[in-house]
Amino acid sequence: MKKHAALRDFSMVIALALIVGFFALNSPQFLGPRNLSMLAIELSITATLALGMLLVILPGQIDLSAGSGVGLLGGIASVLVFYHGWPAPLAMAASLVLGIAVWLAMGTVVVRERMPSFIITLGGLLVFKGLFWLVINNRTVPVTAGAGANLYSLLTTYYLPKPLGYALALAVAAGWGWISFYDRRERIANGLEAEDGEMTFLKAFVAAQFILLFAVVTNQFRGIPLPFVILGVVAAAVTALTEHTPFGRHLYAIGGNEEAAVVSGIAVERTVITAFAIMGAIVAITGFMQTAYAGASTTTVGDLMELDAVAACVIGGTSLKGGRGSAFGVLFGALIMATLLNGMTLLAVAPEFKYIARGAVLALAVWMDVRLSR
Amino acid sequence: MSEPVLRARDIVKRFPGVVALNRVSFDLRPGEIHALCGENGAGKSTLIKLLSGIYGHGTYEGTLEVGGREARFASISDAERAGIAVIYQELALVPEMTAAENLFLGREPKRYGLIDWKLMLKESRRLLKEFGLDIDPAIPTMRLGVGQRQLLEILKAMRKEPKILILDEPTAALSDTEVDILLSKVKELRARGLSCVYISHRLEEVFAISDRITVLRDGASVTTLDAAKTNSNDVIRHMVGREIKDLYPRNAGKTGEALLSVKGLSVADASGAPYLEDISFEVRAGEVLGIGGLMGAGRSELLMHLFGAWGRRISGEVRLDGGVLKPSDPTESIRRGLVLVSEDRRRYGLVIDKSVGFNMSLSSLKKFCRRLFIDRHAEAVENQGFSKALRVKAPSLEAVVGGLSGGNQQKVVIGKALMTAPKVVLLDEPTRGIDVGAKQEVYGIVNDLTAQGKAVILVSSELPELMGMSDRILMMHEGRIRGQFSRGTSAETLLAAALGKS
Repeated sequence: MKKHAALRDFSMVIALALIVGFFALNSPQFLGPRNLSMLAIELSITATLALGMLLVILPGQIDLSAGSGVGLLGGIASVLVFYHGWPAPLAMAASLVLGIAVWLAMGTVVVRERMPSFIITLGGLLVFKGLFWLVINNRTVPVTAGAGANLYSLLTTYYLPKPLGYALALAVAAGWGWISFYDRRERIANGLEAEDGEMTFLKAFVAAQFILLFAVVTNQFRGIPLPFVILGVVAAAVTALTEHTPFGRHLYAIGGNEEAAVVSGIAVERTVITAFAIMGAIVAITGFMQTAYAGASTTTVGDLMELDAVAACVIGGTSLKGGRGSAFGVLFGALIMATLLNGMTLLAVAPEFKYIARGAVLALAVWMDVRLSR
Repeated sequence: MSEPVLRARDIVKRFPGVVALNRVSFDLRPGEIHALCGENGAGKSTLIKLLSGIYGHGTYEGTLEVGGREARFASISDAERAGIAVIYQELALVPEMTAAENLFLGREPKRYGLIDWKLMLKESRRLLKEFGLDIDPAIPTMRLGVGQRQLLEILKAMRKEPKILILDEPTAALSDTEVDILLSKVKELRARGLSCVYISHRLEEVFAISDRITVLRDGASVTTLDAAKTNSNDVIRHMVGREIKDLYPRNAGKTGEALLSVKGLSVADASGAPYLEDISFEVRAGEVLGIGGLMGAGRSELLMHLFGAWGRRISGEVRLDGGVLKPSDPTESIRRGLVLVSEDRRRYGLVIDKSVGFNMSLSSLKKFCRRLFIDRHAEAVENQGFSKALRVKAPSLEAVVGGLSGGNQQKVVIGKALMTAPKVVLLDEPTRGIDVGAKQEVYGIVNDLTAQGKAVILVSSELPELMGMSDRILMMHEGRIRGQFSRGTSAETLLAAALGKS
């Protein structure tokens, strides 16, 4: 089984390498600093939503309304800023609170009324889409009231100053290394199996290389994009939640065997509702980034993003039955999806083929998962 | 002596890192019932998977002969063609389908390309009658009892006209009367010339039915005995490799104050009908209260309700350590010091795909928290302590719990319960489906618990276990208590109460 797991991880790396190789050969700009910076922003948006989706899928639920929610919550903030003259931070805060409240309500209905989340959120998908179009009145609503920038528009147009970018990259690389060695020491101290010290060093070294390389490349354009920092924070938070808190353990236990979770004294209802509430916050944050990236709220913002998020989870090794999946895997899955979309846009692939390619990749990934996890 | 229908010679089966079967030899004579005995992990399941073709030829060393010629099964269907049918412990019937549909699953009679329902029902009726089974072929199998389903499964297997029938723990979930029916059916099949390999933990059954007994221990076949010339002590000795002197080593000590008291408790089931009625009892610190009764008497439901996981309370009061315990939920019960080890560990006990450590600390994560986060060091230390104390045999705390033997899985569930530092422990069939050695260890744990001043409620279907391990015994019948008995009451008296005859 261990061999299979390794093969599985490996196959995803190969898939990514093939995708990157293909685009690099067919488009010279693909690996350029400008495009990689754009890719970083797109990845940040996709991956943030996918990390929220992970929290909902782990206990065996699903959220199909996330894409419509991205449009709606981004749109509400836009309308508050553009038509009502609210300051951007206040508008976003209001939209964020609304997101948490609505998802909390959906989660409550799912667990209290025993409605399948598939149906509740499918309803949400349609209802939110309709509300979204009502809110923006089928028009294009900019994220700024005047010509100047505000916090909302800066979400995807702000880049860290170059020295700060380098400093941050160094700090993260150092932190990463320290954590891996700390973790290894802990494992040995607890008598658990630990990998070879050289292996730990090699992994931390390669990770540090990638982090620094990323800073060098993005600094050749405008610097590390702000959305990437937001993703970093969300990813760290989701990792901490899933791996280091009782809440996270309970998510896995509920997804793995709900009846046993109940008998083990886990407050199943509260845990699932909390996961939905966190999803609401993440949908709002993704909504702000996606709307800002589009420059304005328009009727198509958020379209099909829920499926990209589910695809990223599944490609990253998350089981749709619940109980299995990790933040790291989801980041990797999101990278594959974002790279694919970015590359196809760069090659000016027609939308019809974009849809087909996205669908095919998802089906292929699930098929491989089923084959290799047997 | 006639040629054996099945013979295994020096079978060795290796998995990465372990030798599951180490030179196993045995032979099955025509018209014989041959029992395989051994503790969990002794290699019985592996051997069956080999006989049924799941582990194909070439994945093991040694030879397998069917009817005097070497058999080289590549798949399950090869084994079926050679005349081997296997009835597994887990039922393989589709619960939503009717008995007839299940019997004809995959080989439905057709007319003009459509299923011929009339013929199917008629044929099913005939088959059921022939087999002496009183089952309406038109009702879904989920509405049948476990015993009837098990017999239906045998009938289904018989339709392939096998020469060799392998029964893997067919009686694990059956009541005593159902066991009797099943055993007599198997004997009937023997009279018709069928050879059987019979696997069971219940030695009484093994002696009631088998002609010869082969004992497996640590993957090796230790000996083959004539059932008529041996006894259960002998078999146990071979199974564990040592003599178990006292099967039920209960050390009763001094009892203290009442930790759990139940007064006039009546509980309704999901349909709203009263299921448990007027139940009153108490358990004291340091005491083991046994609860017996037939299947469906309401024992498990009583425990589940006390724990807060089943039923709606109509009336009555439960007090835990002096304070009133309202009908609430397991989270609250565990916080107050009441914990349940359920009878169905795969369903209610374990997250089967997760590790030993994950499962053991699942109910106690709060106590390892420093601020928001789990202190994994403290958690690992605690897990290690419990797994050592309970003697859990696992490659490591990170081993997937589903890969352990039944006894070790049970110890993990018990470990999870004990880690919550309970005052009262509810044990529902804690030794079901685990081997003799592990049973002894569970009894040891019960003794330790009462010595520490905790109270234990023990539900068991095995009368000897109930009588051997309890300080006091309640017998239940149809949702009511039919008598309280002190230690040393005779089995006849207890049974009479269980049957509602007192």
